[in-house]
Amino acid sequence: MKGVLRLRGSRLVAFCAAPAFATLLVAPWAAALAAGEYRVAPRRGGRLVVSVRSEVKHFNPLTAIDQPTRTVQSLLHADLLRIDRTDLEIYPNVASEWDVSDDGRTYTITLREGVRFSDGHLLSVEDVLFSFRAYLDERVHSPQRDLLIVGGEPIRVEKLDERRVTFELARPYAAGERLFDSFHVLPEHILGDSFERGDVASAWGVLTEPKQLVGLGPFRVKEVVAGERIVVERNPYYFKLDASSNSLPYLDEVVFVSTPTEEAEVLRFRAGDVHIVERLSAENFDALAADDSPSRFQMLDLGPGLEYHFFFFNLSPATGETLGARQSWFKNAGFRRAVANAVDKQAIVDLVFGGRATPLATHVTTGNKHWLNRELGVEPYSVSAAKRGLRESGFRWDGEGRLVDESGARVEFSLLTNAGNRKRAMMASLIQADLDQVGIRVRIATLEFRAYVARIFDTRDHDAALMALVSGDTDPNPQLSVLMSDGGTHVWRLGQDAPHTSWEAEIDRLMQQQLVTLDGRRRKELYDRVQAIMLEYQPIIGLASPHILVGADNELKNFRPGILPPYTLWNADELFFSQASAP
Amino acid sequence: MAISFLAFLFLELAPGDYLDRMRLNPQISRETLELMREQYGLDRPFLERYWNWLGTVVDGTWGFSFAYGTAVAPLIWARAFNTLLLSVGASVVAWTAAVPMGALWATRKRALGPFMAIATSLCIGLPELILAMIALVAAQRSGWFPVGGMASIGASDLTYLGRARDLAWHLVLPVAVLALPAFALLTRHVRSAIEDVMGEPFVTRARSFGISGRRLVVHHMLRPAASPLISIAGLSVASLLSASFVVEVVMGWPGLGPFLLDAIQARDVHVVIGGVMCSAVLVVAGGLAADLAHYLNDPRIDAR
Amino acid sequence: MTRRNRKLTAVVSCLVMLHVVAALAGFFAPYSYREQNRDAPRAAPTRIRWVDRSGRFRARPFFYAPGDGAVVPVRLWVRGSSYEVLGLVPSNLHLFGVDEPHRIFVLGTDSLGRDLFSRLLYGGQLSLSAGLVAAALALGIALVMGAVAGYGGRWLDSVIMWVGDVFLSLPWIYMLLAARAFLPLDMDPAEAFLVIVLLLGFLGWAAPMRLVRGIVMSAKEREFVTAARSAGAGHLHLLTRHVLPQTYSMLATQAAVLVPAYMLAEVTLSFVGLGVGEPRPSWGNMLTDVPRASVLSAQPWVFAPAVLIVVVSWLYHSVLSSVHKREPGAADFGSAE
Repeated sequence: MKGVLRLRGSRLVAFCAAPAFATLLVAPWAAALAAGEYRVAPRRGGRLVVSVRSEVKHFNPLTAIDQPTRTVQSLLHADLLRIDRTDLEIYPNVASEWDVSDDGRTYTITLREGVRFSDGHLLSVEDVLFSFRAYLDERVHSPQRDLLIVGGEPIRVEKLDERRVTFELARPYAAGERLFDSFHVLPEHILGDSFERGDVASAWGVLTEPKQLVGLGPFRVKEVVAGERIVVERNPYYFKLDASSNSLPYLDEVVFVSTPTEEAEVLRFRAGDVHIVERLSAENFDALAADDSPSRFQMLDLGPGLEYHFFFFNLSPATGETLGARQSWFKNAGFRRAVANAVDKQAIVDLVFGGRATPLATHVTTGNKHWLNRELGVEPYSVSAAKRGLRESGFRWDGEGRLVDESGARVEFSLLTNAGNRKRAMMASLIQADLDQVGIRVRIATLEFRAYVARIFDTRDHDAALMALVSGDTDPNPQLSVLMSDGGTHVWRLGQDAPHTSWEAEIDRLMQQQLVTLDGRRRKELYDRVQAIMLEYQPIIGLASPHILVGADNELKNFRPGILPPYTLWNADELFFSQASAP
Repeated sequence: MAISFLAFLFLELAPGDYLDRMRLNPQISRETLELMREQYGLDRPFLERYWNWLGTVVDGTWGFSFAYGTAVAPLIWARAFNTLLLSVGASVVAWTAAVPMGALWATRKRALGPFMAIATSLCIGLPELILAMIALVAAQRSGWFPVGGMASIGASDLTYLGRARDLAWHLVLPVAVLALPAFALLTRHVRSAIEDVMGEPFVTRARSFGISGRRLVVHHMLRPAASPLISIAGLSVASLLSASFVVEVVMGWPGLGPFLLDAIQARDVHVVIGGVMCSAVLVVAGGLAADLAHYLNDPRIDAR
Repeated sequence: MTRRNRKLTAVVSCLVMLHVVAALAGFFAPYSYREQNRDAPRAAPTRIRWVDRSGRFRARPFFYAPGDGAVVPVRLWVRGSSYEVLGLVPSNLHLFGVDEPHRIFVLGTDSLGRDLFSRLLYGGQLSLSAGLVAAALALGIALVMGAVAGYGGRWLDSVIMWVGDVFLSLPWIYMLLAARAFLPLDMDPAEAFLVIVLLLGFLGWAAPMRLVRGIVMSAKEREFVTAARSAGAGHLHLLTRHVLPQTYSMLATQAAVLVPAYMLAEVTLSFVGLGVGEPRPSWGNMLTDVPRASVLSAQPWVFAPAVLIVVVSWLYHSVLSSVHKREPGAADFGSAE
């Protein structure tokens, strides 16, 4: 049981306690690191085995999309600045320092001296310029490109001198330095030619000779066995040193093995074949923690991450007649609030997530300690409050207890979810039973994922849908496309040119304002207001935010997972095994 | 050719395309998605895309995988061997066990009947998914077999012989899981085919000559009983292939299963078509081989 | 012959009983399939006893309530949640049950606290009929197509074989996806079920068709068929009287295999959103809960649907092999006789 952070007993207060608890957990580690002392002296050597759920598709940071591919890349490459996953603050990485101009539009980044790529080639300013040129190039269609477009214009990257680069933004962008996390610095001497030819997007595939895969990260590729495993070895040229000036990383090798299902992954973890598991379900997490005697694993519940599960009513311009009629209910904010009251979010937390989740009020999870508006609470589960709300919004009940609207039409709708997701199916069943209590009939419609996406984004002919989104960062800015009325994931009302309601207009205004406000406290006030509006009008009905559950072999030290991906391997250069017997 | 066309058509009809996964990512704008769609050629008319794909078949690349950013053919070849190893291994095991068991069952009905009926029902009624999971749990609990995968982590450091032994060790469980249901099904077919032959006049005559026991079954009954079995054999490789996909995914076998499942879910069109063509080749080859075997077994059938 | 008859009767009555219980699930199940007990998710089966702690035997079975340890007797013929007999007559009579607020879970509960025993019975309604109807449909098409191909030969054979190959190798999952996209979102469960059965049957004919064709091809060249043909028998007569009977034993074997296979195939359909939707249970969708390590070892009772599928599979096998043996001409010469 050692090392297990249990939140079971404190479920009622978990709403406030979870994040604080998580801080407590990581704080001693951070302090120890700062002082340059470890509880166990770091030991060199050893081979860490990590499993990934789907195959690593390629080694090209420019076009990486899925998490396993990006995780492997985070070991092979390095970014200028990066977010520390434990305190979620930004620190210099390949850069030695950075500077923001007073108007918040110019960032000057100074490179470390003497940094070398994994083939021994010296890093120069040209490589940084090249990398951002590649990320911004339209032919490359990098999924990260949009992050570099600020105020409708690409960031201008220019060389100041042999060690300094300036990044100029078209307009002020609050907390712009956070954007640099995960933009890897790439070697121009390797990729330059293929960039000139225009085929850099398909460079560095799984069949590429490992020697060609050059980066600034702590590891470099040693062996690739298609579909089976990827072995990376220590990069002898890695620039970072530990507190006692030993070169990092400590590990000799990291092996990524493909294990397509969580179940097989957990079994391999139990068998000792795999040393780290992440994104565990509560069931497996609890089972591993319970069976853990003598203590072989360190199981950590990091509290809620940035993923939020919710459902929403479709308010987009209707295509069908039935939907049109139903939308007169959905557009009624009183109806949405009453529905939110009628859903037992704690039951979802307990039954679907085995208690390892936190009920959710808005899109901001309690994991986002810095930005969460603590004045707001989760709508209480109350059938009577829901019934009162419905009555006040003009609904009534017929003789058999079924809810009808003013025209006498029965209130019923279909709830869209995607197939093959057990948790979501369970949530749908719970919502169905809850709304049955207030006389609303819900039909669950299960579609395969792509069909589900097409329904929501293309044809938009559905009544309501269950969904989960995950924020890329704690900062409000990545949420712009959800919150802004013209955003691509403004799911409840897609494709509107101008805000349709006054509260949507207000959110638009507040979000625009916080974007150009550089004072952190003022930004927080603005974003608090956004959350209050979201709670009042319930365009998305928040359900729960699952905890990030991870585990590692007990011998693995310096294991300090965080709630931003890559959860566990972000500090791979500092991980080490405490015993020589480790594999 | 027709199969590839229809497969393309089906993929066209199914909602969604490769880029959909990115639509739920708030960091990617709609404009960028449109640009990508254009780049991948997903905005072209259906026939044009099909024609382009046919062109890639001619030059041997079999299209372009969006997810991997490379040609499809080398990706498939790298995994096809692992899958074939598994499904061919399982067919061999299943057939070598099924023919004698089926024959025994048919001739020693009283002794074996009830037991075999229950045993085969058990193997047929449990889906491979569950069988595979049971095998994995058992492997982890006992520690006798590796928990999934195809090679030990340190396999590349071993000698050639050591690697072969390591591979064989990893093969045992998946082959067993795959072979069990196939074995149950085949045993039943072998038994019913042999029972059919038992009533034939030539068998009665052979028995009246005093031929009995194993000699009777092997020399006089197997050949005439073979006709339905040949058709089944022709089908069994293809059906084992689809079953092996499930087993591969659960047991982490690096074959076509997890690869294609990924591609199917991601709508990585050309990869899916590549997989379909592979299985089509096996199905057609199985059919042709069965026809040939029918002819060899019974030359009266006109061989076209 | 009488011994076999007796066995056949026993097996058939077992099978019929199973269907009757499923059809009258409302009566035999203590609860509705959708009733959630949120305070008792993943509950273990209730341990029903006859002998109490002091060693005394009680005529009426009972169990100790999980919380306070109170003695809860199991009652017969109780009034409970209402249901409709065969979808027609409303009723609220149940075969057994316990007094509120206690609850009896013969096979435990699922992750939403729904009674697994009740769900198992209701699930049988869909699974039993889906398996049977789909298998009959697939084999029916296979028999006709296989006979035409094998007997007709030449171009007919080529065309049907070609279509069969196409059917066998196409990625049906995409056609299913497309099909689902055209169906309305709030589809009635009955319609959804019909779609499932039709799809299963329609997609499954190609493999048994090849088997039928193989047998027909070799059967039509056999001496007695050639003899009958030279005696002037018509094609239809030849087919139905001499050639097709040769395929029956293979068809029987196939049927015994396909019925359980189709019950399981529904799981795959659920994957693309075409399965039996929540909250309605079927043996197939109940099994999606099973293949997880923690469940497998800690809650063996979730295997119940799989056990029933195995039993049904065995019953069908027994029925079909008994029936087949009664065919004239198939003399039995097992070693014991």
